[in-house]
Amino acid sequence: MKEYPKKENPFKLLGQHLEAIGTGLKYLVKPTRITLMYPEESMVLPTGYRGMIRLYKDVCIGCTLCAMVCPADAMKMVTEEGKKLPMINYGRCVFCGFCVDICPVDALKETGVHDAAFTNRRELIFDPDKFSQDFDQPPTMDKPVRKVRAKIDEKKGIVYEPDD
Amino acid sequence: MTEEVEKILKGGLEVEIVPVEGELNVGPQHPGSGHMRIFVRLNGDIIEDVDLDVGYVHRSVEKLSENRNYIHLIPLIERPAILDSIHMNMAYIMAVEKILNVDVPPRALYLRSFAAEVNRIASHLYGMGIFGVFMGHSTAFMWGFGDREVWVEILQALTGARVTNSYILPGGVRRDITPVIMEMTEKAIKYTRRKLNDWKGIFVNNPNIKARTQNVGVMTKENAIRWGAVGPNLRASGVAFDVRKAEPYAAYDKLDFEIPVYKEGDAYARTLVRIEEIEQSMKMLEQIMREIPQGNILSDRFFKQIPPIRLKKWWEGQHRIVMPGYYASFRPPKGEAFARVEAGRGELAFYVISDGTAKPYRLRMITPSYRLIKVFRELAKGSRYADLVTIYGSLDYFPPEADR
Amino acid sequence: MIVFPGLIFSLITLLTAIWAERKIAAKIQMRFGPYYASKRIGGYFQLIADAIKFGLAEIIVPSNSIREFFILGPILITAFAFLPMAFIPVSQIPSSGSITSPYYRFFFDKFAGISLYQPIITPYSLLFIIAVASVVPILTVMTAWASNNRFSLISAIREGILTVAYDTLIIIALISMGIEYHTLDIASIVKTGVPGIIANPIAAFVFFVALLMGTARFPFDVAEADTELVTGAFTEYSGLLFVLSMAGPYLLTFVYSLVFATVFLGGWLPLMGIPGAILTVIKALIILFFSVFMRSVYGRYRIDQILRGGWKYFFPAALLALIIGMIGGIFL
Repeated sequence: MKEYPKKENPFKLLGQHLEAIGTGLKYLVKPTRITLMYPEESMVLPTGYRGMIRLYKDVCIGCTLCAMVCPADAMKMVTEEGKKLPMINYGRCVFCGFCVDICPVDALKETGVHDAAFTNRRELIFDPDKFSQDFDQPPTMDKPVRKVRAKIDEKKGIVYEPDD
Repeated sequence: MTEEVEKILKGGLEVEIVPVEGELNVGPQHPGSGHMRIFVRLNGDIIEDVDLDVGYVHRSVEKLSENRNYIHLIPLIERPAILDSIHMNMAYIMAVEKILNVDVPPRALYLRSFAAEVNRIASHLYGMGIFGVFMGHSTAFMWGFGDREVWVEILQALTGARVTNSYILPGGVRRDITPVIMEMTEKAIKYTRRKLNDWKGIFVNNPNIKARTQNVGVMTKENAIRWGAVGPNLRASGVAFDVRKAEPYAAYDKLDFEIPVYKEGDAYARTLVRIEEIEQSMKMLEQIMREIPQGNILSDRFFKQIPPIRLKKWWEGQHRIVMPGYYASFRPPKGEAFARVEAGRGELAFYVISDGTAKPYRLRMITPSYRLIKVFRELAKGSRYADLVTIYGSLDYFPPEADR
Repeated sequence: MIVFPGLIFSLITLLTAIWAERKIAAKIQMRFGPYYASKRIGGYFQLIADAIKFGLAEIIVPSNSIREFFILGPILITAFAFLPMAFIPVSQIPSSGSITSPYYRFFFDKFAGISLYQPIITPYSLLFIIAVASVVPILTVMTAWASNNRFSLISAIREGILTVAYDTLIIIALISMGIEYHTLDIASIVKTGVPGIIANPIAAFVFFVALLMGTARFPFDVAEADTELVTGAFTEYSGLLFVLSMAGPYLLTFVYSLVFATVFLGGWLPLMGIPGAILTVIKALIILFFSVFMRSVYGRYRIDQILRGGWKYFFPAALLALIIGMIGGIFL
């Protein structure tokens, strides 16, 4: 069991004041920033990131396991031309990735896309046709978006390196 | 009006001394209240009584659990403490595993400890950040969130999501650690050790913070036990209790670590306990990376059910397991189980009753913050109004976790 | 003609101070701060954008407030925070050779024997500054009372208690300088050529701490403590009145910084004329930036701790400064 020192002499106290100000000044002179300048820079997420999901329509066997395991009832089965296919409602999806993991034929895949915007709730529902396309919505900017990758750095915490 | 004047005249101009008493409604929309209403009864600057109106972020997890399959509950159970989700997930899965009677392979146990300790560091940094801004120290707030980002990045690489990890499954974990993640963790440990020195300079050893926290919200050992405090708050009051030591789960029986215990029981001791726990967690992470055994990360009972083609692709290719169809709606045998873990804020307990169907009959969830409601109320009595937020922040109370 | 450039100048320093506060804090806190409003100059125009936004916002006056005082409060606070500038000499007008030399005789301070950039020439400028600036806390209390909000009331009580503590320090620190230099005229103090920080370092330190206290800078931000009292006395304000209520304390900080720069840091010396004025302002801005830098180092003390610190440590220190002033006065 430990105790912290209770009484401290005024000189040590002054030293601690100076230490605090010194630490502040140190960061003022040599700032370490970890901000991602978002619309200009966009992060490339690591493989295995559980982003938005896409379907491979031809591979799907319609086993309904994905709809069964879905914790949020986001995935539902629809019958399209006699074939059972999943559709997803991103308004409900919690991106747990259970459906991708449970699919016995790997008809579902996690993409690295996580930043999408929709104008209304109907657009959030992806029918099998829309679901089986690569969905990537680049941020609307005049300039091209720099793709960066986050790396952990011993000195700066997180640095963003350009992705090539 | 005239009556009053007459009264005063009769009483010989006696001035009644009126104490400055009043009630103050702090929250639910207030910079220092969080998701609750703190009804403060003030006498001058001293708080006479505090009424905590909690429940603003109640999600009814326990009732919803009775209508969900076991596997569907994993994301739901994480939600109350989203920044401590590994622990939430682990405690629930441990209870389910007890009913299912599954053995977890040692590598998976080490991985659970790994994820849990990373999560604990992130959770403590978050807590210290909030604590800092409650005392007006905005740098601690930003640093807490910024330095947490490093650990969240590791969790993202390991589990595929920043906070809602859903990493632990009955019988094992979903993904294996890779050399890349180990390298990331080593760098993150070095970074956090460096940064903790600066944390000490600007926050922990700062005389301003010391003045604000020392002898504030003092919880004696007896009171801590009587009020049911848990976690770092309990350990700061001189009670050496940690579920990781008392009832080792995951890989904690094989890990060397100390539990920091402080005698004082005030806000400063609680902060020191958190700082030292971060250091201990980093020590544990190093040991896990050194000693992690080779092997499977999912119990053989489920591993055998995975189709061989998928096994080849995912397990051998990407070091992650996929779920067998069994998980979609499994029915555990009749039974009941109790499991507890040491979450970031303290002891977290789950009690699950299975009646043989695919849904739990009853799920009871006792979160550490829930127990802090009583502690908060008792500690706030008699303190100064400015210390209300200090006590609140030092307890690391997280309203959604308490409301469930 | 004299006040108007002063207003524009104050507005610019105000924007610079708030911008600097945000940028300094951002640098220490691993972020960028204001950026997008004008990328080339580091987001400086963000403050102007914010001011326009607040200026166009609706001013909501709570129905249970005292309407007149509620509206007058921030206006008077800003006015009284700005007024002391009339007594601060920023530089010396050279008798010839400068574009301001034609005004040499209008602003001639016969007590110091030099002509000054000082709108109102008086031999008691230190006294006037203290007098005018000490009205501000009273107005803050009035504002808080008028807005009829409990958080504001607590803030007013804190402000009132605090005022007694820091006004004493400011007065004693400045009086000790007055005794030391045998004058209450800032220009005469500067003219001696000995900066106050050398002549009486303790008074300088006490004055700087009192400056932080008096203008609600960290770590003495108790009257405006946002996690405890929302925004203190200005909880109910919105729109343009809110801008004014924020501007007042910053202006006061700048006024005190100018006093610090002239009394303790030697003012415009060794320059004179317009370069001298720039030097004074730069010195004042350094003090101002340092006082806003404190935000990123400290949290806030509790009111009782500030009072204890003020009366137990800084008040004796101020008395010591007074004694040093008396002794130093023999030599100066």
